[in-house]
Amino acid sequence: MSEAIEAEQTFADKFPEEARIVRAALLGSFLALTLGAIFGIIQTLHRTGVFRGFISSTDYYTSLTAHGVFLALSFTTFFLVGLFTWAVVRSLDRPLLNTKITWTWYGLMAAGMTMTGVSILAGFVDSIDMSADVLFTFYAPLQAHPMFYAGLAVFIVGSWIAGADYFRTWLAWKRDNPDERIPLQTFMVLTTMAMWYIASSAVAASVLIFLLPWSLGLIDQVNPTLTRTLFWFFGHPVVYFWLMPAYLLWYTVLPKIAGGRLFSDPLARVVFVLFLLLSTPVGIHHQYLDPGIAEGFKFISMTNTMFLLLPSLLTAFTVVASVEYGARQRGGSGLLGWLTDLPWRKPEFTGMMLAGLMFAAGGFSGMVNAGMNINYMIHNTIWVPGHFHLTVGTAVALTFMAATYWLWPQITNKPFYSRTIGLVQVVVWFIGMALMSNAMHAQGIMGVPRRTAEPEYSGFEYATMFGGFEELNIQIAIGGTLLFVSTVLFIGNLVLTMGNPKISGLADPLPPALSGPDDSPKVLDNLRLWVGIALTLVVLAYALPLAAIISRGGLLGPGVGTYPVWLSPLVDALANAATLLSAVVDASASLAEVVR
Amino acid sequence: MGQNETAHAPTDDASGETEEFDPIGTLTLIAIYFVILVLSWVYIYYIEFLGRDLVVVG
Amino acid sequence: MHIHNYEKIWLAASVLLILLLLGSVTYGAVGPGVAMVSDSEQAIDAGGLDDDDRFSEPRVEQVGENEYEAYVVAYQFGFQPDPIVVPENSTVTFYVTSRDVIHGFEVAGTNANTMVVPGEVSKITVETDDRQEYGLICNEYCGAGHHVMEGKVNVVSQAEFDDRNDGGNGE
Repeated sequence: MSEAIEAEQTFADKFPEEARIVRAALLGSFLALTLGAIFGIIQTLHRTGVFRGFISSTDYYTSLTAHGVFLALSFTTFFLVGLFTWAVVRSLDRPLLNTKITWTWYGLMAAGMTMTGVSILAGFVDSIDMSADVLFTFYAPLQAHPMFYAGLAVFIVGSWIAGADYFRTWLAWKRDNPDERIPLQTFMVLTTMAMWYIASSAVAASVLIFLLPWSLGLIDQVNPTLTRTLFWFFGHPVVYFWLMPAYLLWYTVLPKIAGGRLFSDPLARVVFVLFLLLSTPVGIHHQYLDPGIAEGFKFISMTNTMFLLLPSLLTAFTVVASVEYGARQRGGSGLLGWLTDLPWRKPEFTGMMLAGLMFAAGGFSGMVNAGMNINYMIHNTIWVPGHFHLTVGTAVALTFMAATYWLWPQITNKPFYSRTIGLVQVVVWFIGMALMSNAMHAQGIMGVPRRTAEPEYSGFEYATMFGGFEELNIQIAIGGTLLFVSTVLFIGNLVLTMGNPKISGLADPLPPALSGPDDSPKVLDNLRLWVGIALTLVVLAYALPLAAIISRGGLLGPGVGTYPVWLSPLVDALANAATLLSAVVDASASLAEVVR
Repeated sequence: MGQNETAHAPTDDASGETEEFDPIGTLTLIAIYFVILVLSWVYIYYIEFLGRDLVVVG
Repeated sequence: MHIHNYEKIWLAASVLLILLLLGSVTYGAVGPGVAMVSDSEQAIDAGGLDDDDRFSEPRVEQVGENEYEAYVVAYQFGFQPDPIVVPENSTVTFYVTSRDVIHGFEVAGTNANTMVVPGEVSKITVETDDRQEYGLICNEYCGAGHHVMEGKVNVVSQAEFDDRNDGGNGE
């Protein structure tokens, strides 16, 4: 065995150029995290009425847009492309084909996100006639500056090239290893990116065909239900796009950290195939309370959504079993006594376990969100952000931060500045989120709306349920503050780590699964088949609803205006120019007639 | 670091210990989770949701 | 492919859980009769509400014995009519549309909740109980003044309802 040599070589030793790319992606991700956290703390204090001095209530929505876009799109996606680059190169054990292409997609993603980010942040500066106060969902007919949409398009195209980069590298590996199973991590990356291509095609179409031309004044109006539906076609699978890298870490890294190995490689593959198949034909469950969409379509979407629980429930079992295996390898015994034999002092372990625990709680509120008619109770209440702060805000974000404690030394050869601070950081995140999310769910049941600068109203008082409105506000404010503190600890620790000298001996190779890939049916690796089925399901779920929406409202909407019209001065100028031009034409025509 | 897991698979099969492990602790934990889920669902759907004012019936 | 027995048990329990969830939602639809806001209403010209029979003059109208219809317009940043006054122990159908952007229509603390999309009419029917004043809020971000967009839904006695409508146009 070559174990001894491998143990000495980290990813950074073996693939220095790729390690540089992974670092760049992760740093981009952490920059977005920092910005997002700053807006997060401002919003927490503003919304709960604890302190409203940072921004006006009007600017709250600029802040909320920035918080959503920087965290949900930028932080997650940049971390993901970094992690995926590491996972593909590591598990195929070969470098990327052409790192120029890699730097190209990185550059496109960074440029696109910068464009979008600038268009949002300009909303804080009155003297710049640019803003994008449309939140993460950019529902028309609210309109953003064209640069917002253009940046999103560039960002998505960048992510598509990243996917192509992974597929090309895999194909090259396959030519050299024709009879081998796809290594598990690469399999996870490829299925995730396949899902991403399907999902993001809709939002790309929405932006390029409707929203960008509309914001440029090329078309007068859009069909709000159509662009909204295209958004959610993308908007639900995107949550799995965030989640699947966390799953990759739970399946392939967490068991190792726990002292064991993955329980079942075949089941991990089944789970990722299920996500590829079921992530997309479910978006209409975000539109249960939309007029203009038939109840039947909503029911179909619910059924798909409920079955999408399966891969997550299976994951819960497989991951916990893998951890239990690790604990028993370490001498753990008893029915639950083995829980004390786990490496709870390691921030990467405790962070990922706490993230998984919160995801289990998020699973419950997700079931409520998915239950079609119970949506009347919590739709657009703060219950919903309460839910996704458990999922993307903890299951994903905390797993990424925890994984950084393990991954960063591998890609830099620098040990972390303080693993104790790391442990404190992940625990503080957990406590903060437990407080904040719990109170958000409780307020949601009372009917407190999401996405508002001032949730208190003049005409009525909320009924008291699980504590009064004010008391829950305090919980949210304390929780949000702890989350901010946790982010500061994370970023500070990372910055100090960058000053550490490089050392050797940080390598930590991953073991194969207990039940290995040879145990899984070959058909699982038939990506063409799964993509084909996924596309069929998408067509079945969306062809009729989209046709109905277009036949009701038209491609470009029934008499719907534009709010605000960003380019109105420009359009007016163009209109004036046109009038002038036609006057000139008229004049010249009459002149011509006179001459004749 | 960076090894190819497929390359190692045969060695693991040879060890043959894979059938020995019964994750009984996991089964216990997940059964508790299942009970919590069912009880919470029954509460929130049948008591909290169906019990409130202005149920939409058309 | 080898699957551990415990995992098979969990898989079965998971499917059972999913069926419980789907079954509950179906029960809610069939038993208490919870209906979803749907595509039952025609699309509408959001720019032409002033010429529309129902929405040029937002109001509550009696349409049958103990049956009322409320025509509601949501706009940046309020609701018409405000307050929406309906009698107790009656069946009220809300028809809600938007003059401008996407809004929400949520009677706080109740199940009466729907999206309001320009170009579409949301129709929800509820049964009122005793007299009660509810807050009405927009729960979808609709612009810079979103947080001030609120109204009232007042469930009043039949006598008070009739009093209010006396001297009206006697519809």
